[in-house]
Order: sequence, then C-alpha cells, then structure tokens
Amino acid sequence: MSRDHEQYEENVGAYLLGALTELESEVFERHVASCPICRQDFEHLRVAAEALPRAVEPVEPPASLKKSLMEVVNAEAKQRSQAAAPARKRFWQRPFPRLSPAFAAGMACLLLVAGVGIGVGVANIGGGNGKTVTALVDRSAAPMGTATLKVSDNHGVMKVQGMPQPGDNRVYEVWVHRGDKFVPAGALFGVSRDGSGSAAIPSDLKGVDTVAVTREAQGGADQPSEQPVMSFKLA
Amino acid sequence: MHVVQGGDPRAFEVLYDRHGGAAFSLAYRMVGKRAVAEDIVQEAFLSIWRSKVRYEREKGSVRTWVLGIVHHRTIDALRRNLVHERRRASAEGLEERQEAKELTDVEAARREEAREVRAALQALPGEQSRVIELAYYGGFTHTQIAEMLDMPVGTVKGRMRLGLEKMRRELTGEVA
Repeated sequence: MSRDHEQYEENVGAYLLGALTELESEVFERHVASCPICRQDFEHLRVAAEALPRAVEPVEPPASLKKSLMEVVNAEAKQRSQAAAPARKRFWQRPFPRLSPAFAAGMACLLLVAGVGIGVGVANIGGGNGKTVTALVDRSAAPMGTATLKVSDNHGVMKVQGMPQPGDNRVYEVWVHRGDKFVPAGALFGVSRDGSGSAAIPSDLKGVDTVAVTREAQGGADQPSEQPVMSFKLA
Repeated sequence: MHVVQGGDPRAFEVLYDRHGGAAFSLAYRMVGKRAVAEDIVQEAFLSIWRSKVRYEREKGSVRTWVLGIVHHRTIDALRRNLVHERRRASAEGLEERQEAKELTDVEAARREEAREVRAALQALPGEQSRVIELAYYGGFTHTQIAEMLDMPVGTVKGRMRLGLEKMRRELTGEVA
C-alpha cells in the first residue's frame, strides 16, 4: 500500500458525503481513477451515501415550479427547432418595433453582431389572463442568459437566469417601448452570484410592444445608454 | 435520457414528474426554504435539459444521478452563502411543509425505502450519524465540522467512513 494511497484512503467517506472542498474533490477523483484499492472502497461505500437522499421526508414541490420549468424548456425547444428550419425567416428579417434613433442604433448593433450567436426566442406561452414571453438575448453580452416575462393584468414579472453581473456600481434597468420611444419601466434589478434575478414591472404594459433591458449606473437612467442585453416582444 | 438531452420537452416532463418531487424534497431538507429549494431544483433540471451534465448509466440509476446533481448544487448554494439562514426543516419549518399527497404503489415503496434508510441512519452511534448529517444534509465541509465539534479532522473523516460502512451493512443485510 503506497503512502499516496494512505493519504487519500480516509477521504472516501468525506468525498461521498460532499464534505470535501471542490479542489480536494478533484484531487481525490484523480487519485481514485488510478488507485484500484480506493476505487473499490469508493464503490463499496457508495451504496450507503446514495441512499441518503432517499431518507428525506417527501415534500410536494409547488406546481409553479414545473410550470416555469416547462415554459423555459418549451421555449428553448421551439428556438432549437426554428434554428433547424432554414426556410423560416430569420429574426433580423422580421419587422421590429419603431425605436428612438439612439436606441434603435443600439438594437441594430445587437442584431448585426457578426458571427455572434444571438438567442432568439419569442414564445408566448399560456393563455387566458396571462402570457409568458421568452427574451431575445444578446449572446455576446450574456452567453448563458435566459429570461422570461410573465404578463398578466397588464403588469409584468421578469425572471432571468445565467446572466453576468451588470458590473461595478451598475444595475440592470427595464425599459418599455411606448409611443415611439423607450421610457424607464420603473424596475431596476441585480442578479445573484448564480446569475438569477427577478424584477416586477410597475408600469402598465397596455399598448407596450417591446420591453428591453440594459445595464445602467446605480439608480437607473432616463434614457438607455447602451444596446439592450435582452428584449421581449409583446405585440 | 438521450431523448431528454436531445431536446424532447415531453421526455423532459416525464423526467421531472418522476424525480422532481424527490429533488425538491432533498433541496428543501438541506436549505429549509421553499423558495431557495425551488431555485436550486429549477437550475438543476435546466442544466440537465441543456446537456451540461451527462448521464452515465454505469454510475447508477437516473434517480441517483438527478439527486446527485441536486445535492451538489445545493451544497454550492450553501457554501456561496446564498442561503443566509441555515434552517433545517425541523419543527420551525413544519408550517411550510406540505406532505406529498399522492400515494401510489411506487410512492409507497419509496416511503418504505425512506423508512429503512432513516432506520439505518438512526441505528448509528450518535457521533457517526451527526457528522454524516452535517456533511450530507448540512453541506458543511470536514474542516467546518471538525471546528464545530471541536475534534481533529481525521476523527471526523474516520467517523464518516465508519458510519457509511455500518449503514451499508444495515442496508444490504450484510453481517459484520
């Protein structure tokens, strides 16, 4: 039995219980891959560790969890199928809402970034009193970002995931396209370390055809100062 | 699983229906807050959908795999201090708890299995079950546990290992 093996042998239980740090886990995994004794030990004790989640008292998840998951999944599946259908009109070939000149230039930049994948998703889900719209995300600004906007009774709740931090002393600001210009929607938000966040939009969304999000200085701005990182087409 | 990760929403829905409850129960047991547990489960299932983690049949059942992903993500959340108040789903959390109502044959078998695992855990000497619970359900590292219990790290690791070994024997019916 090598000294190397002895050093790692006692870590098997801690590894299986998730009690090692990330770095320690990686080191242990490398060792197990090359040590048949530890590998055997690992397989031996795995039965017990894998039983632990099954000891938990069952708790019913809220129905809203499945609903929100399936909204994202269905919207992304639709995006994939659209991307796989070359005969369909591309996003940038479709008419876009009238924008103020400065913001329109930003939106145009967003759409014309050569060679950059842009997440295209305009999916209306649900019906009746509300609908959920999936964001069009600028992949150059938010490679992993996804977002939905749930609109009911002319008010909206936005949920984002996988978004980068907006930057030091900056926040995400929500804009609504009303008349022929974008105005603040009265909603600023940040994202947690895992990139998730949400914002309730106090503005009345009646007559609004587009909602957009930009990064602005703390406290928000009167006009968008940059191209949007995402937008939602409501009409 | 290939169908789910290949982009079939219906297959994904079946996966969630089968394992979403157990995933939520585990995350809730660990963080003690429904909203945080929801976020963790949503992230875990979306990572499966987006094929960021691949299922390998030889490493166990789909359920074990899904619960492993949820466990890792919950530990990440706990260690990143996303859960500011580490509250266990104990007496104070009971008002939030809603027992799963459905009791199908499969569910009944799972509850029986849960009772067996809990019995195996409770049969351990207190010092072993404590380190196992702090690590697995509490998301604490071995060094944190050593500090909390004021004992050497080696002792903590040893108790984890011994406890798992005894649980394994209890669960498999193997005589020591």
